[in-house]
Amino acid sequence: MIQYSYLIPLFPLLGFLINGLGWNKIPKSLAGVIGSTSILASFVVSLAVFVEVLSPSFQGPFVQHYFDFIQSGTLYIPFAFQIDALSASFLLIITGIGFLIHVYSTAYMHDDEGMVKYFAYLNLFVFSMLLLVMGANYIIMFIGWEGVGLCSYLLIGFWFKNHAYTDAAKKAFVMNRIGDLGFLVGMLLVLYHFHTLSYQELFDIIQSSADQTNMYTAIAICFFIGAMGKSAQIPLYTWLPDAMAGPTPVSALIHAATMVTAGIYMIARSSVLYNLAPIALDLITWIGLATALLAASIAIKQNDIKKVLAYSTVSQLGFMFVAIGMGAYTTAVFHVITHAFFKALLFLGSGSVIHAMGGEQDIRFMGGLGKKMPITKITFLIGCLAIAGIPGFAGFFSKDEILAHAYAQQPLLFVALLIGALMTAFYMFRLYFLTFTGSFRGTEEQAHHLHESPKAMTLPLMVLALFSIIGGYIGLPKVLSEKHWLHDFLSAAVTEKELHELSHATEWMLMGVSVGLVVVMIALAYKATQKAQFSAAKGLGKVLEHKWYVDELYQAIILTPLNHLGVFLQQIIEKSGIDALVNNIGTSIQWLSTRVRLLQSGIVGSYIFVMVLGIILLLSIGFLSTIL
Amino acid sequence: MLSVLLNSPANTTINYLPIVIQLVVAIGFVAFMMSVTHLLGPKRRTSDKLANFESGIESVGNARQPMAIKYFLVAILFVLFDVEVIFFYPYAVNFKALGKEGFLAVLMFVAFFLVGFIYIRKRGALDWEE
Amino acid sequence: MILIITASIIGVVLLFASFLLKHTSSLLHLVTVLFAALFGVAIWEALQPTAILTQSFYLDAIRVDRFTNQFNVLITGCLFLYILLMKKHIAAVGKYKAEYFALIAFIMVGIFMLSSFNSLLVMFLGIEIVSIPQYILAGSDKENLKSTEASLKYFLMGAFSTGFLLMGITLLYGATGNFMVSEFNFLQATSINPIALGGVLLLIVAFGFKVSAAPMHLWTPDVYDGTPTPFTAFMATIVKVAAFVGFMRLFQTSFTAISSSWSLVLAVVIALTLFVGNITAVFQQSVKRMLAYSSIAQAGFMLFAIISLNAIGRQGMLVYTVAYSVASICFFAILIKMKDYTYDGFNGLAKKQPFIAALATIYMLSLAGIPLTGGFMAKYYMLKAVLFEGSYMWLAIFALLMAAVSVYYYFKVIIAMYFKEGEAAMIDSFTKEEKLYLTIGALALLVVGIFPSLLTGTI
Repeated sequence: MIQYSYLIPLFPLLGFLINGLGWNKIPKSLAGVIGSTSILASFVVSLAVFVEVLSPSFQGPFVQHYFDFIQSGTLYIPFAFQIDALSASFLLIITGIGFLIHVYSTAYMHDDEGMVKYFAYLNLFVFSMLLLVMGANYIIMFIGWEGVGLCSYLLIGFWFKNHAYTDAAKKAFVMNRIGDLGFLVGMLLVLYHFHTLSYQELFDIIQSSADQTNMYTAIAICFFIGAMGKSAQIPLYTWLPDAMAGPTPVSALIHAATMVTAGIYMIARSSVLYNLAPIALDLITWIGLATALLAASIAIKQNDIKKVLAYSTVSQLGFMFVAIGMGAYTTAVFHVITHAFFKALLFLGSGSVIHAMGGEQDIRFMGGLGKKMPITKITFLIGCLAIAGIPGFAGFFSKDEILAHAYAQQPLLFVALLIGALMTAFYMFRLYFLTFTGSFRGTEEQAHHLHESPKAMTLPLMVLALFSIIGGYIGLPKVLSEKHWLHDFLSAAVTEKELHELSHATEWMLMGVSVGLVVVMIALAYKATQKAQFSAAKGLGKVLEHKWYVDELYQAIILTPLNHLGVFLQQIIEKSGIDALVNNIGTSIQWLSTRVRLLQSGIVGSYIFVMVLGIILLLSIGFLSTIL
Repeated sequence: MLSVLLNSPANTTINYLPIVIQLVVAIGFVAFMMSVTHLLGPKRRTSDKLANFESGIESVGNARQPMAIKYFLVAILFVLFDVEVIFFYPYAVNFKALGKEGFLAVLMFVAFFLVGFIYIRKRGALDWEE
Repeated sequence: MILIITASIIGVVLLFASFLLKHTSSLLHLVTVLFAALFGVAIWEALQPTAILTQSFYLDAIRVDRFTNQFNVLITGCLFLYILLMKKHIAAVGKYKAEYFALIAFIMVGIFMLSSFNSLLVMFLGIEIVSIPQYILAGSDKENLKSTEASLKYFLMGAFSTGFLLMGITLLYGATGNFMVSEFNFLQATSINPIALGGVLLLIVAFGFKVSAAPMHLWTPDVYDGTPTPFTAFMATIVKVAAFVGFMRLFQTSFTAISSSWSLVLAVVIALTLFVGNITAVFQQSVKRMLAYSSIAQAGFMLFAIISLNAIGRQGMLVYTVAYSVASICFFAILIKMKDYTYDGFNGLAKKQPFIAALATIYMLSLAGIPLTGGFMAKYYMLKAVLFEGSYMWLAIFALLMAAVSVYYYFKVIIAMYFKEGEAAMIDSFTKEEKLYLTIGALALLVVGIFPSLLTGTI
């Protein structure tokens, strides 16, 4: 089956082509079916491929070469796919969760007139992400990488009639481009020094010549800048919270299955390189930690249901990068997987809420929705428990693993991460209590309209809730099981750093501390939500509410000077310099034309005269140049 | 001077001196004679004297009148066929040497001319009255 | 060789067709069949197993080689397209319908001689066989004073240039005692013989006249403007390209060894041609006259093939043959339907005839040398050839600047069609077949623009 893995990206591509080319002919209901079926088909193939990778007979990465993509001089880029444990796991997440989101979308987007177009974009998004994951070299990854960026732009700005939404789309695009530049520079460095971009060849070269640390660090940092853009790390994270301008299923897709996981995937893929660049790893740890804490603190004071979730994603990505920074790549991937389940669940749940509220997103106007929407409530609660790290739920295992690694590395790091985790528990349950418990604070009309979402929406929620519970059992901690299944599975594809081991007693203790504190935070959150929510925040609260004024800061130190420079260039250099030059060249050529034209008098005699003069000139040039 | 000429080595510029002298003398002679006759000769300008000499017959009208295009046409066609005939002279001289192939080539040449001739006859280029 | 004979026979047949066929439509059918047959013969000849070898005929006076065959196929292909698009308009020029086609067939005889001569005599014959029928075609619209004027001017100046050609041949013969182009290579042994140099320079002048290179270009605008439009399309494209091939054949086989003594002169000619052609075209109001100047400007580019003396230049010549001829012929086929030949006459064409306007845009883009069209590849090959040769970097830069100027006047047509309001009055509508042929032309340009190796592959 593995040799048919090209089918995996092919189905979404076909779906995109059918829906994209027939956008004005295909009926809405059919578009949803086409979109969902194509993803289901590639999910089935992914599953088969995964099973094959899982079997003990599978040896090493499977690289399938399709055709020569670029061949120019010494530059050789084949179009090839690489299937191994890492890409197979990502394939499963992307197509699996992608499929659920597609099914959900058929109901969620039912009333939208651009539904066919929407599904075309969605399929293209999944296709790009699959390309990114399956490529056997950085160029194929980069194609997918850019495709993902493009689709996020198209989908975030899907409701392009709203000006703020298109601004958000542009912001996402520009931020991603900044990161992409870093990635591109990194690729060029690799190409310049190692003359190949294929993973296997490159890693073989790197492992055989481990002494070029400076070069590896430079490349690793460039790649990390790329990851910063896609995976929303400081300083390029600001696009992700704004990206919730798109339809809610799109947010789920961006935050869970695709896009933001690309950065993690890329670094996990390059683990060989990063292991040899300790400075880059330290940088990643610090930036991840800062992002985790900053985003978590902002999430505490947000009132938009999707914004809270968006900042929580940024924060969770910070956790993953801390894991990467410590060299625990499989742990990061583990957290990607569990996070994908519960974050997709939370986003789709919030979508269900927004659907019921008729577009309202402010949690201060909600409350008590649990009575009308039991399925949404329960599944959402499961998601919250998972992300908060309550034992037994998926998030607990992965987060605990990160915390354990941090403690082994540096207890202070553990403390900082624990603070982040506690804030997570706080804001998630603040969100939950405000939305689903208490009394309804919205308008009469909204109260009347409240209803549970249709099956197509609740079914994905239930499936995701199930996985949010059991998803963590693929990586049980050492204290519970001798065998860490995911770790063993991925170790074939990802080279881990040597990590310190904790004693079982310490690990029990850490678990106990974190779980206890999380429960306390949930209680605090309950208390906090009993107060009125409309009072204007003061002091630190206000700063948090305004997201630490980061957007304003960017505006002041980057955008405003750039704008001034632009105005200067446009008014002075462009108008009176370049424009004048160009126009003068044009007018002088026209003037010249009126002069030269006079040569054409229409009189044969003068023609012959000019011709003879010219011939004399030519002959004298010829003879003089030869003789002299 | 003559000794210089005779003693100078062959093929230098000085060898061409006699030719230059010859040229100067020739041009000078012509110019001299023309200007002298022009200056010395008596001039009586009467209308009879200035009229074209037409073998004693009085001239009638302007010679530069438009003429029938047929006249030129016939003249040019005559030249064409005249040239065709001229080609036969060298062929006749080499008749034996050129052999069968030459004969065929000339036959083709004549055939092309014949085609042209038929064409101009059919177009009526040789019909004088029309 | 069979091609020359076929073309002659076609000419003779057409000469008599006027007596046999009374109806214009049956004549046009015959014309189509005959020129299709000519195209077929050219292809057949190029497909012979011997076509890749050099074969000689008539005491080595004619040599047919691989380039000759390739060029003959392309030029007869262009001719066939021209006939398909223009036959109706040619027949409408005047009374002697069949004779016009016969003259075209005879010109083709001369063109085939120019692409295969090895003796200077055959070259001279070729040039004259090409030229004399053109004088007649230029004056074929006898009622029109401008047409007569064009014919007379062309004849006078053509005769003048023939003098240079003969003098050049004479001097060469005097210096070498030989007519055979392939024998001239002995020139490389001696230091340059001034008599031979004079001959070479006079040949540059004579060929420069035929390809309308400055300063021998002055006849071009008047003649192209006055000549009935269907024949302008023929003279400005197929005939001109053929003259280039003759020029290139002569200089590349014979004078390569002494190129240092004449390439400067040619460089001056190229620079002047590019300058005069492009700069003067800027001011023109009539599209037809603009095309005349643009043909001068394009000649400047084609001359690169001669100055560069390498295989890339020969390839470029083939690409240029197709790119330039097809674009110009097709655009003339559109122009001929316009009531008003000025730029204003094209105003608003895009609204009235969107398809035709789109095709015209492709032709203009190709002439301007915009990528993805054949015109770009043609210019690319020429510049590559001259840069490869090495000593005329300044000329390549100058040519690029002038190509930028050319964009101005080509795009003026596009701007008129798309961005100006107007009637775009037509005297005749396009038939389905004409639209098909125009589309084929546009597709050919795009294909050449993307896969130029289809034309150059085997050289």
